[in-house]
Amino acid sequence: MMDLTQAQWVKYAVTHPAEGFEDMRWKKSGSLKIAFFIVFLLFLSRIAVSRLYGFQFYATYDKIFNIMPYIIQSFVLFAVWVVGNWSVCTLLDGEGTMRNICIYSAYALIPFVAQSFITTLLSHFLIRDESVFIQIIQIIGTVWTVILLFSAIRSVHQYTFGKTVLAILLTIAAMLIMLFLLVLSMSLLQQVYIFLYTIYTEISYRVRV
Amino acid sequence: MRNIIRRAAALLASAAVLWGGSFPAAFAGEPYEVYNYDCWGEPIPSQAGYIAERAVSGTDLGTSPFSSPSDLFCGTDGTFYIADTGNNRIVAADSGLSSTVEIYDRFTMQDGSTTRLKAPTGVFVSPYNGYMYIADHDNSRVLVCDTQGSVEMEITKPDSEVYDRNRTFLPQKVIADKAGNVYVVLSNITTGAAMFSPDGVFTGFYGANRVQPTMQRIGDFFGRLFISEKKKARQMRNIPSGITSFDIDGDFIFTCSASSTQSTDTVKKLNAAGKNIFANMDVIFGDYTPVYDTSQNRLMAPAICDIDIAEDGNINCLDLTSGRVFQYDEDCGLLFITGAVSKQLGGFDQPAALESFGNDLYVLDSSKNTVTVFTETDFGSIVHKAAALHNDGRYDEAIGPWQEVLEYDGNYLRAYVGMASGLLRQGDYKGAMKYAKLAEASDIYNKAFEGYRMEWLRANFGIIAAVIAAAAVLLALTGKLRKNHRKAVTTEKKEG
Repeated sequence: MMDLTQAQWVKYAVTHPAEGFEDMRWKKSGSLKIAFFIVFLLFLSRIAVSRLYGFQFYATYDKIFNIMPYIIQSFVLFAVWVVGNWSVCTLLDGEGTMRNICIYSAYALIPFVAQSFITTLLSHFLIRDESVFIQIIQIIGTVWTVILLFSAIRSVHQYTFGKTVLAILLTIAAMLIMLFLLVLSMSLLQQVYIFLYTIYTEISYRVRV
Repeated sequence: MRNIIRRAAALLASAAVLWGGSFPAAFAGEPYEVYNYDCWGEPIPSQAGYIAERAVSGTDLGTSPFSSPSDLFCGTDGTFYIADTGNNRIVAADSGLSSTVEIYDRFTMQDGSTTRLKAPTGVFVSPYNGYMYIADHDNSRVLVCDTQGSVEMEITKPDSEVYDRNRTFLPQKVIADKAGNVYVVLSNITTGAAMFSPDGVFTGFYGANRVQPTMQRIGDFFGRLFISEKKKARQMRNIPSGITSFDIDGDFIFTCSASSTQSTDTVKKLNAAGKNIFANMDVIFGDYTPVYDTSQNRLMAPAICDIDIAEDGNINCLDLTSGRVFQYDEDCGLLFITGAVSKQLGGFDQPAALESFGNDLYVLDSSKNTVTVFTETDFGSIVHKAAALHNDGRYDEAIGPWQEVLEYDGNYLRAYVGMASGLLRQGDYKGAMKYAKLAEASDIYNKAFEGYRMEWLRANFGIIAAVIAAAAVLLALTGKLRKNHRKAVTTEKKEG
């Protein structure tokens, strides 16, 4: 019963929002490799949506390309979610390990990633009047991912419905705090760097004279 | 060896002199860098549409020098009227701005007495009845007279309940419409231009500006609910800046407001009912980003201090802050940016008024006391021709001129929009898509793409239908095969 390969487990988890992750946990399945691949696809999908969209829907600013926003939108956000959820749920008697949280959350992102690629592709075949099709696919993909994410958190920690909602809200709060601290430490590091650089230039001038 | 080097150097130097010497003929030296905006709203170098030809002072016209003149008007016959504020006179000059035709400094009233002007700030000559309208600022009146200088009517402070009795009447600019109604911009009134009937009766205000709904205004509104009347009276009031100047073009009155803090309603196109046709247009008049002024250490937003509608419908706006004339076509598409703040010819100190006649632009500077004449360049005339065709809706005829424009300046944004529209009209969807992409005009691209897709589907319908049919058959077959296979497996198992 339920002897599936890792790839089949991905399909099973995505197509069974209610008990898919529950079964996956029961069978101790899920691959970290596939999870990272999905997050990488998420990163690509963010770039595709903002750079490869059909010109009739929106005109992109082509003068510069900065990869940082896309990295933050995918890798950083996902990492902060996983770490935030782990730290909150460890305190809330959650049973999930960091590894499992990472795998389950990544699997839950599949509909969203798929939606991004499909709409990007469709935007090259549709005109503005038909944009409702794109919107429908976007809504379906996003809602599906939200449901899956909820189900993933519930089964990875073996929570009740109410506790899952609480855990997700606390996770979002934790994410905000972490991002705030990240920005703070970044700017502090920059200050230190500038300080050291000024000392370096000062000394180099003195040495030269 | 040294000799050879020296000779080579001499040769190079002479070549440089010759080469450099040939430049001024090709590029008339503007004291500023000509620019335009690209599709992302960023300034890029461009070609000049207008070139400063000469500056005309009072002495050039054969009269005494101007003293802080504040208005310039060009009649339909080409006669220029200059409101010479400091000298209390109106100077009329011929269309070539070479000599004075007449100087108006004293007028005969209807009862036979003579009257003099005191700091006239506005002049207008009606093309319909030939009357001259003068905003006699310091005398608090508007004079309506014929071209001989005999006054037909005098408009003074209205005795009306609508007009606040405590306010003085300080006419700044004046125009009259087809029916003879007189519109007066008052320098101390923010509720719009005062409107008078042809017989001089005050009929109300016309075309007030709106208050810009900034966050501070919204905050003030809620704050006001809780504070006392006394405090309210002391608070800053939410009043829009008044109209600075206006121009009339047929049935429409164009107004401008020179306020460096306000960005709504800086340029308006008003119909007879006083409704602003540009109200919902997403256009920024003047520079997109404020100019940084090093001497005052602050950002200077554009302040449109005069507006002029050319015969071909183009809208010329004079920006006091940057000393630039921004020319728009009738659909508010930016055509040219001319001028600067500078001492040289083509730059201004304190630009006060703007007029156009034929293909030329005339800018009055109240600090330099001159009228600068700008003539259209070859590039300017082609762009004007193309833009006129484009705005008439003759997009396909405009393709040729737009192509010529692109030969002059490959960065000229409107040319790409024009090309895309023209090719779309001709049914060349692929070309239209290409140019729409270059112009970042996704709405035109959308239409072109719709046509292109339709054409493509029509051309390839047979293949598409065949592929779909083949795929359907293939799917059906594989489904059946799979079913059979499964059946076979289960029966085998049962047997086994």
